[in-house]
Amino acid sequence: MANEVQSPVNNSNAAQQVQGKWGMVVDQDLCTGCQACVAACSMENNVPFVGEVDDAYGRSQQWIRIERFWQGSYPDVKMTPFQPVMCQQCHNAPCEPVCPVYASVHSLSEDLNLQVYNRCVGTRYCANNCPYQARVFNWRDYMDPRQRPELVTLSNQWNPDVTVRRRGVMEKCTFCIQRIRHAEDTAESENRDIRDGEVVPACAQACPANAITFGRIDDPTTKVSQAAVTSRASHLLEDLGTIPHVTYLAGGA
Amino acid sequence: MSAIAKPFIGSHTTEQEDPHEHLMHDPLPRGEMNAMVLESMHTTTWKYWTLAGILAFLVVTCLVYAWYILIMQGLGVTGDNRPVYWGIFLVNVVFWIGISHAGTFISAILRVLKIESRRPFTRAAELMTTFGLVQAGLSVFMHMGRVWLSYWLIPIPNERTIWPDFHSPLMWDFMAINTYLLCSTMYLFLPLIPDLAMARDRSTGWRKTFYKVLAIGFRGTEGEWKNLKTAMNIFAFAIIPVMFSVHTIVSWDFAMATRPGWSSTVFGPYFVIGALHSGMAAVAVVLFMIRSTMKNMKYFIRPEHFDTLAKLSLMVSMAWAYFYFNDYLVPWYGGDKWEKILQDFTQRGPIGWLWYFMLFCNIVVPWSILWNKKWRRTPWLMAIVGLLINIGMWIERYVIIPEALTINRMPFTWQIYVPKLEIFLTIGTFALFFLLYLLASRLIPLIPVWEVQEGQEGHILRKIGKAQIPTVSEID
Amino acid sequence: MSDSTMLLAVFEDIEPASKGIDTLQKLGLSEDQMNVISGIPVKETILGRPAAHTHVGRIAISGAILGLLFGLFLIYGIPFLFPLDAGGQPFYPVPEGFIICFEMTMLGLMGFAFLGMLVDSGFPSYTPKEYVPQISDGRIAVLFHCPRGASDEFVNALMKIGALSVNPAEANQL
Repeated sequence: MANEVQSPVNNSNAAQQVQGKWGMVVDQDLCTGCQACVAACSMENNVPFVGEVDDAYGRSQQWIRIERFWQGSYPDVKMTPFQPVMCQQCHNAPCEPVCPVYASVHSLSEDLNLQVYNRCVGTRYCANNCPYQARVFNWRDYMDPRQRPELVTLSNQWNPDVTVRRRGVMEKCTFCIQRIRHAEDTAESENRDIRDGEVVPACAQACPANAITFGRIDDPTTKVSQAAVTSRASHLLEDLGTIPHVTYLAGGA
Repeated sequence: MSAIAKPFIGSHTTEQEDPHEHLMHDPLPRGEMNAMVLESMHTTTWKYWTLAGILAFLVVTCLVYAWYILIMQGLGVTGDNRPVYWGIFLVNVVFWIGISHAGTFISAILRVLKIESRRPFTRAAELMTTFGLVQAGLSVFMHMGRVWLSYWLIPIPNERTIWPDFHSPLMWDFMAINTYLLCSTMYLFLPLIPDLAMARDRSTGWRKTFYKVLAIGFRGTEGEWKNLKTAMNIFAFAIIPVMFSVHTIVSWDFAMATRPGWSSTVFGPYFVIGALHSGMAAVAVVLFMIRSTMKNMKYFIRPEHFDTLAKLSLMVSMAWAYFYFNDYLVPWYGGDKWEKILQDFTQRGPIGWLWYFMLFCNIVVPWSILWNKKWRRTPWLMAIVGLLINIGMWIERYVIIPEALTINRMPFTWQIYVPKLEIFLTIGTFALFFLLYLLASRLIPLIPVWEVQEGQEGHILRKIGKAQIPTVSEID
Repeated sequence: MSDSTMLLAVFEDIEPASKGIDTLQKLGLSEDQMNVISGIPVKETILGRPAAHTHVGRIAISGAILGLLFGLFLIYGIPFLFPLDAGGQPFYPVPEGFIICFEMTMLGLMGFAFLGMLVDSGFPSYTPKEYVPQISDGRIAVLFHCPRGASDEFVNALMKIGALSVNPAEANQL
């Protein structure tokens, strides 16, 4: 199942052990912490801008965050690799069974965790139960032009493929499911399968270091499957048994 | 060698208690007791109306208007954030459900165990249950992001062709709290019927119409009493497991989550005992207020009742300490680093003093005061102890919910919780609770007079040897 | 019945009332021609009356069964009708089944006990009834049918053993 860091792995068995369909690999050794993925994700998915005060209080609604840590104490302070964290699209998502209204369900066809905005009543149990704290909540109508007219022009760049959420609703990274759907529709209309690399989520598209790879992990020939089986690979909070679909590569040269 | 036992310390008084101090051995004619209860209902002084006015003002501003702001602007006006998605609203939910458990405990468990001193205050406790559950329900609605869609949690056929998810502890909550609310309201109403009939017989004007409608034509025939008593017995036995299950299910809202500090198997019984702890203390506070502000109540509610409550409260506080120690010891010993960080944050963090104050209120206060018989029989002291215990138990829920949510397994997200509008809404729920109680005290006979008379009929002084021994006969 | 009158005898307390009932029985009244109305519940054996019957228990049990069935529908019928995958938990969970079925069973038990009490006693009822307000002051009243014309005999007998009053029973608005 999981690949241990710094231990050799039998490549041929690894893909069969992987569960799921869509997966992502984040190479922490390549990530520069530039936050281009954060900006791109916010643009692609109509993520609201909450303002300085609310952001400082922990209400920033970015679906992906770059976590920064340091080791040691002054003057021997060392930075650790940047850690981009987004929804891990767990196979056994703890956020799903706790929603009282089925707003957080599992897609059997895409093996993704879905957040159904128009069903959410805002009890926020899913957010409490996510061990990765990957879920964010719409605390106010941040993009309401009546309250913040300076943001009116930003609405011109909203992505028409993605719902705009109102206050009281949970949201999270969806692996850019609108792009997955678009690629699947195109492939179906052209009577072919989806090619590897055809679905590129916004974060992977924007990353200047190509640190994010995305694709089908049930197909061992895809780039993402091959990237996931190196000895640098690990999962976040593995011992909780959530079986995340995001693999992190770290610890190499 | 003298065979007479000498006191170890001091000289304890050895005189006999005067049995007429006890309500059950101090009977008055039923007609007189009825008149006393009705007089206390009809008497309203300027102090009553001033207090009602202040409470109504607080309800309108701190509950209605503040809630309007909350709904229109969204939960951003509260202090919730990531990772503390649940704050004081949930603390209030657990607190008020805890208060409501006292009513059932006194009304059901003491009735089943035939503890006679419960007789005058079962209704006061049951009213606390109903009104406490109202506040808990309001607090649940307050914490929801889209409260106008909360009817989606009701499991009835609908045009959306989707039902709620019963895998969720919140749905178990929904079913359990509604069951408890309905059943405890019915259980409040059942023993109230004969007293409503009494009030109907002795009232005029709008009160007579009010009591006539509510008394549903009760007369007291054999068949009616038999049906009433059978139903009351079923309720008394059946509502006890429901009471235990309700707060257990509320605790599972937290225990089912995979958070450090929350994923604890002891939460079920721990929360139930916590509920009893705060509830019994609240009953003492309410009884003190009834006794000191309403006419004629000093006859019905006597130091012996505070004694009973205090003894039960002492036992419950010991049980609470036992469960709390369990919940504390296992993570402290066990070495899960996140649990240790959480304990460190709770006890030595920026508001670590709150944790110590909680232990003082919940353990030190009851253990140091409630052992003394004279102090147990002092109503104002019991009210203060009750107030401190309730403050301590509110803090305990604060420690469990917002403080535990601050620490999770992703340290980059840790944030302190600073409450904002929820403070006003909390004040509003307390004001509404007391306002409802104030109104009920003048509309509903607070003392179940028929039960008091029933008890007095069964209590006699029986001469055994040379002494008059208070004796209870089982005439029901 | 047209060949009998209804009288209401009011007694001060339990002892006079049981003597009164004794007297009525000796005068030939059968048990179902008498009814005791009291301000507190008095066990029937204390007054020498047969045990009253109630259907509340049976109604409550049937309510419990209905509640159990409703609970089973909620926890197992709903995922059967609308299967939605959530978190790797089984569609038909056993522990949650216990929880929901328990709550619904208890709700059914108590709800039907309450409704059964109302139905069995004919509540709510606002028609005029035979009653005197002294009953809620702790008196015990005996409502009985005596043969027409013999009322004086009954009245004297009861007043002799200490009834407070024996009058024809009038149905008044409560």
